[in-house]
Amino acid sequence: MRVVANLQVCQGHARCEDLCPEIFSTDAVEGKVVIEHPEFGPELEEKVRLAVRNCPEGALRIAKGGAA
Amino acid sequence: MTLQWSPSPPDHVPAELIVDFDFFQAPEGLNDPVQIWHDLVRRGVPPIFYTPRNGGHWVFLKYSDIVEGYRNHEIFSTYQTPIPPIEPFPVMQPQGVDPPEHNVFRKLLAPMFTPLAVRRMTEGLQHRAQTMISSFADKGGCDFIADYASRFPTGTFLDLFGLPEERLPEFLALSEVFFRSTDPDARAQNLNDIYAVLEELFREKDRNPGSDIASAIVTARDENGQQHPWQDILNCGFLLFVAGLDTVTNTMAYVWRYLASTPQARAEFRDRLDDPTAFQLAIEELMRINAVSNIYRRVTHDCEYKGIQFRRNDRVILSNTLANRDPSVFEDPQTINLDRQVNNHVTFGVGPHRCMGSHLAKREIMISLQEWLRQIPDFELAEDQEQGSIFGGSVMGFTSLKLRW
Repeated sequence: MRVVANLQVCQGHARCEDLCPEIFSTDAVEGKVVIEHPEFGPELEEKVRLAVRNCPEGALRIAKGGAA
Repeated sequence: MTLQWSPSPPDHVPAELIVDFDFFQAPEGLNDPVQIWHDLVRRGVPPIFYTPRNGGHWVFLKYSDIVEGYRNHEIFSTYQTPIPPIEPFPVMQPQGVDPPEHNVFRKLLAPMFTPLAVRRMTEGLQHRAQTMISSFADKGGCDFIADYASRFPTGTFLDLFGLPEERLPEFLALSEVFFRSTDPDARAQNLNDIYAVLEELFREKDRNPGSDIASAIVTARDENGQQHPWQDILNCGFLLFVAGLDTVTNTMAYVWRYLASTPQARAEFRDRLDDPTAFQLAIEELMRINAVSNIYRRVTHDCEYKGIQFRRNDRVILSNTLANRDPSVFEDPQTINLDRQVNNHVTFGVGPHRCMGSHLAKREIMISLQEWLRQIPDFELAEDQEQGSIFGGSVMGFTSLKLRW
């Protein structure tokens, strides 16, 4: 599975980074999300889903299928 | 730009949407200022209503409308918003400027408040917390507001601005009037006083820049290689003063008041001292439940929203505590669940003006609580002492919080 971010919508709350640092970090200039590893396996699914649901801007979504 | 503003007479507001509500005043018998707002829900007032108090303003009760108020800057502007009105009010940079112009100062400040930048402040914050707490840990009690919650963020602010610690009392006094006074003359004088301090500060940093935030603002260059307009520099300093002091103080007051009266919660946090992730998750719930800020917006043009007529210059209050306890968004919203999994609270707002200092604020609170629990693992409200009073307004809180251990 794959997680994608809409950087137009991201406002740098960094809740995703708090909840799932394995996948998400934030940049040093604007503090917006950086998806270090967009592809993730079932072992991280629960954490990624939680990060997506906790985004106050709704900037994250899980895309079906593999690499684009 | 001169502001042409006159209070909107409520003749565009239907009688059934008018509620007598003064958000500075706590109803008799309340000991918790956020209940000023939740009392409205209990009264069953309309989800969008207008009160003629404090110059007249609208109130949104629902999460969905509050979020819309934050995001829809085409209607709900941050330009010149104070309630009751102060005119002219400084155009805070970048908070008081609508997108896209707000991006100039937002971009300038952003690198200094990213999670990465704030993590680098950890040691300094820990040192400050340890020193302050150890100064009274063996005394068996304190007034948490006077002895810690007001001093800690103000000291942090001075540090970030490259100002000496000795100026703490002066900044505490300025902040007190700015947030507590409803007297127009006192408020006008207070604004002059704050700007005089900022003028002197930025002049000094312009001559002798250091590695602090004030220096970064004053030495920044615009796209033409010029210093930003002087008034904007002052207005940016003003924003940081307004945004970072009283909010943190009163959130801390709420958190410590809750912990002082809830032994089980203290135990929960003590158990999480060695697990920063679990500690942080629990802090997030305290952020949701202890939202002290009520945010102002100003309507940009005559328009209709949700079938209701709004008139240009109408003021709106977005109360974060109402959004954060909306049952259509939060499961069991009045219950504090330190393991809450989905927690889209709006304590730091959402949208283009999302609080840039949120990571610093949370870190200040988290580090303070960690250091406190290490030095003072158990504490309670000093019920036998005078507990002061509560206050509403743009930032809600308590005038004192006496603790003992």
